[in-house]
Amino acid sequence: MKRILATAIALALGCAALASNVHASPLPAGWACTPATCGAPEGKPIVEQLLPPPQVPARITRRYPAKVIVNLEAREVVGTLADGVKYDFYTFNGTVPGPMIRVRVGDTVEIRLKNAHSDHMPHNIDLHAVMGTGGGAADSIVIPGHEGAFEFKALHAGFFVYHCAMAPAAVHIANGMYGAIMVEPADGLPRVDKEFYVMQGEFYTPGAYMQPGLQPLDMKKLLDEQPTYVVFNGRVGSLTGDHALRAREGQTVRFFFANGGPNLTSSFHMIGGIWNTVWPWGGSNEDHNVQTISVPPGGTVIADMKLVVPGTFMLVDHAAVRMFNKGALGQLVVSGPEQPMLYRALWNRPFPPASAMPTAATSAH
Amino acid sequence: MKKFVQLLCAALLGTGLIAAAQAAEPAPLPATSIYRIPPLTLVDQDGHSFSFASLVGTPRLLGMFYASCQMACPVEIETIKQIEHAVAKAGATPISVVLVSFDPTHDDVAVLRKAAVQHGVSAPEFLLTRAMTGDIGMLGGVLGISWRPLPGGGFQHNVVVALLDREGRIIATDPANGRIDPAFVAAIVREERATR
Amino acid sequence: MLRTLTGLLMLLAALVPWPARADAAAARFVTVPGGHFVSSLLDGTRTVTVRVAPFAMMEKPVTEAQFAAFLRAHPEWQRGRIAPLFAGPNYLAGWLTPTDPGDAQAARRPVTAVSWFTARAYCDSLHAELPSWYQWEYAAAASSSSRDARAGMIRRNAILAALMRATGQRPGLIGQRPANVYGLRDLNRLIWEWVSDYGAMFPDVNGDVGSAGSGSVLRLCGGAALAFRDPSDYALAERVAALSMLAPADSSPFVGFRCVRNLGDAP
Repeated sequence: MKRILATAIALALGCAALASNVHASPLPAGWACTPATCGAPEGKPIVEQLLPPPQVPARITRRYPAKVIVNLEAREVVGTLADGVKYDFYTFNGTVPGPMIRVRVGDTVEIRLKNAHSDHMPHNIDLHAVMGTGGGAADSIVIPGHEGAFEFKALHAGFFVYHCAMAPAAVHIANGMYGAIMVEPADGLPRVDKEFYVMQGEFYTPGAYMQPGLQPLDMKKLLDEQPTYVVFNGRVGSLTGDHALRAREGQTVRFFFANGGPNLTSSFHMIGGIWNTVWPWGGSNEDHNVQTISVPPGGTVIADMKLVVPGTFMLVDHAAVRMFNKGALGQLVVSGPEQPMLYRALWNRPFPPASAMPTAATSAH
Repeated sequence: MKKFVQLLCAALLGTGLIAAAQAAEPAPLPATSIYRIPPLTLVDQDGHSFSFASLVGTPRLLGMFYASCQMACPVEIETIKQIEHAVAKAGATPISVVLVSFDPTHDDVAVLRKAAVQHGVSAPEFLLTRAMTGDIGMLGGVLGISWRPLPGGGFQHNVVVALLDREGRIIATDPANGRIDPAFVAAIVREERATR
Repeated sequence: MLRTLTGLLMLLAALVPWPARADAAAARFVTVPGGHFVSSLLDGTRTVTVRVAPFAMMEKPVTEAQFAAFLRAHPEWQRGRIAPLFAGPNYLAGWLTPTDPGDAQAARRPVTAVSWFTARAYCDSLHAELPSWYQWEYAAAASSSSRDARAGMIRRNAILAALMRATGQRPGLIGQRPANVYGLRDLNRLIWEWVSDYGAMFPDVNGDVGSAGSGSVLRLCGGAALAFRDPSDYALAERVAALSMLAPADSSPFVGFRCVRNLGDAP
């Protein structure tokens, strides 16, 4: 009797589970809005602390939905595209990319966009994290000297691109007007030791690569999708030399990598490393042991790597001309003791040419 | 020479008159009154001419149109009539309507009269007007109405009907597109009662 | 009799405040012959050929000095006095005083940060008006050697580059480039210019015309692809986008204007 009851209970539970599976979200826990995670905002509104790239805002430890206020400013600035090369950038908050925004799924996000008085153009913002017309673009158009705001509920966890969508959008994006927003799953991502924010983008100039001076946008090259520069974080050398990213052996690092485009798909790769865990497309699925990840314009990836050996690791777009001839190169310098069990140099020496080594075949006659 | 003296005198007299008119000016209009646009003289479907600023003193519905318009303007006029009907049903008195043509080249008094008959509207409750002097672009600007003549004839334009309070402030606007917005009707009723 | 008259005249001259003109050279209008051209703006989804009647256009954009003279003669349009209907807080915001641009180059710098209403009022004071989009586009299509140089990729590139180079700076000075074939200067590379019918340039997404400043179809990310005959003319798209997002009371630091007279209008 007891056994029958237990079987019945098990069966009932199984059926319930099955039934709920039919309707339940296919997402891992916490990646979609549920009534539990997406209630009305609680607590005081939080003003997002925005940092210049490659810095990432602090991970969210809060476990309730909040109202988050994000202060952005469209700024047209003359900046450095490479040593000796200047460019008229369109930016969010003066940097390319604009600052990374970090919220939690279920948060109510208020985007405030100012357009600097000294700007020429109207600007707006389209966040791919928004469900709504134009991703907010239609309701955030501001002319120079004006400010606007809109609000959205972050319904989907993931890492999303944002960009200016003002007509002609290709020009605004080609000038650097993009950034990214992380909508964290309800319980956050797994903890890592260090996080970096890197965004790829192309620039189209009439002057050849590294030709000095102030370079304007070359419309012809843009239309032909033939960039002069393909760079990380808005300039050649943003992540090399003195600006190289740094970590220690034993640490796990996370890259929030996004592609502003406007045109090229990135083949994101770390030379000398394998991504232990990636969230391709910036979405909820995890993949492991990945070498190179496609990141389309307007797309992202979250990529984690445990650093087990010291050295200098190169962050590249593996489309090789871009890394060698157009600037798509960054460095991660990992310090720590050598790990010869994992990697070591063996020899590097001359060996005699083939002609100096007579063989049986040639000496037989 | 005599003619010159006459001209001079006329000029002097004119200056004096302007000064007198300024002295007799009533209380200044509110900062956002649309009666602050530069002077505009209108003529209605009955040939009566009047200054735009003389419309001050009572709440009104104000919009723009052109007589040869095939779609948007007939809808605009019919919508206004239905709005007024709804106002009456709500127990208030319909308020007067003034539409100004943005096609003064074609819309003379005869054309306006014909349009008024066609739509069954009449002065003084419902005026179809055109400008005799002044810049109707300024009026369009303050009402949020834009138009552009199209190469094939007609205009690319939008429709806005504004509810003005007695001093010319815009209280509410309506796209007059065939749908009766209860909030707009309610605003008219409120305004009409408040100024009764 | 004659002497008395002369005396009266002199008295009058002393009493009547003539507008100060010392530093504001009278605007020169140049005749633009009529003709046909294909507009960059679509009529809905159709390409249109426009017939433009001959008109007279100011050779140069209105300068700060000219606008200052207008403000002295018409104080009701001065910053601080102007009704908020006609200009917002950014109207002439960079000027030293309501009538002084505080710019040593005021006679050569185009006035900007003026609203559409004030530009209109200025033209009206000259018995002129703002050009229509078609008039402006027709005049600006010309280069120093051709009446329609719009297709040239090098020229388009140069125009876009010139406008972007001005990023964060005040507009440059008038007259640094050759006049076009009509004798008009600085239509393309210095500033954006108000046109009379800028508010009705685009049909709305659903076919209606949005009100001025709503930008209608351009509000959508891909909208620009639907709005222009040649969506790859980025310089033009930037200009039209910059204008069409403005409400008529808005002022932008890179939007100025010039006036036209329809030939036959009283000078």
